[in-house]
Amino acid sequence: MTLALFLLALATFLLRFLPWRAEKNLRAGQAGPALVVALFLVSAFGPPPSSEWLRALLALFGTYLGTRLTGNLGIAVFLGVGLYGLLGLL
Amino acid sequence: MMRGLRAAWPIALGYFPVAIAFGALGVQAGLSPLWVQLTSLLVFAGASQFALVGLLAQGVPPLLAALLGLLLNLRHAFYGPALRPYLKGSPLEAFFLTDEVFALALRALPGLPPGERRGYFLGLGLGAYLSWNLGTAFGALWARGLLAWPGLREALAFSLPALFFLLALPHLRNPVALLAGGVALAFHLLGQTAWGLFLAGVVGLLGERRQP
Repeated sequence: MTLALFLLALATFLLRFLPWRAEKNLRAGQAGPALVVALFLVSAFGPPPSSEWLRALLALFGTYLGTRLTGNLGIAVFLGVGLYGLLGLL
Repeated sequence: MMRGLRAAWPIALGYFPVAIAFGALGVQAGLSPLWVQLTSLLVFAGASQFALVGLLAQGVPPLLAALLGLLLNLRHAFYGPALRPYLKGSPLEAFFLTDEVFALALRALPGLPPGERRGYFLGLGLGAYLSWNLGTAFGALWARGLLAWPGLREALAFSLPALFFLLALPHLRNPVALLAGGVALAFHLLGQTAWGLFLAGVVGLLGERRQP
């Protein structure tokens, strides 16, 4: 079992490291923006579609307002978290 | 590095409760606190750690569990090349390259002087790593009762979607990014999140190749 853990750790590290240090002409294209948008969608909206999506959307709107009003990423996230928690109490 | 460490707090805020859950669930699954902590210290990739522990608890052979956990991390192969314009990628930088560190770095690094980028990234990664490991230790050592606060844990865990949302905002008019997001979401709704994220990376790669 410990061997499996070490193998997972090593393989995960190599998966991160080797493509980074591969041929310099290997281009990432738009993989960065594509993955950020994909990570956002899959983290915010869990299957199946449910009323939780509305809660998430409202909290994301609060997050957006937070960043517009404060310009601070951390404070905006904190506001979104607070709103999400409050909506859960309703 | 201090600047990156300070910038890591939205990630740390999101990681901590999730890491507590990981530590607590690992111990509840019958694994020793030390072993659970070791996974966070060495692997530092949340989804694959949850998969590893969950599969082991179900009696799946360890090597198969590790392989399945690794499949969840395939998308990480795209992160380094996307950051290459800003960082060469040392072993330490690569070790810290989680989803959240990547997304925040992609947003911040272009606006930093080249000489400050490495320190900023390492600070970001270190902040995330500390939060993840402290949360794991907290969960593994004091598991009993911690999961009795699902409302709080759930709310704090929302900080990761909120952070990703803010990082994704500048890209929401990019058709390639939107197509990739649609693919990822469709697979996610079908229960194939890892493959969806991997395919989103492939869509992103193909997207630029079609541009002049």
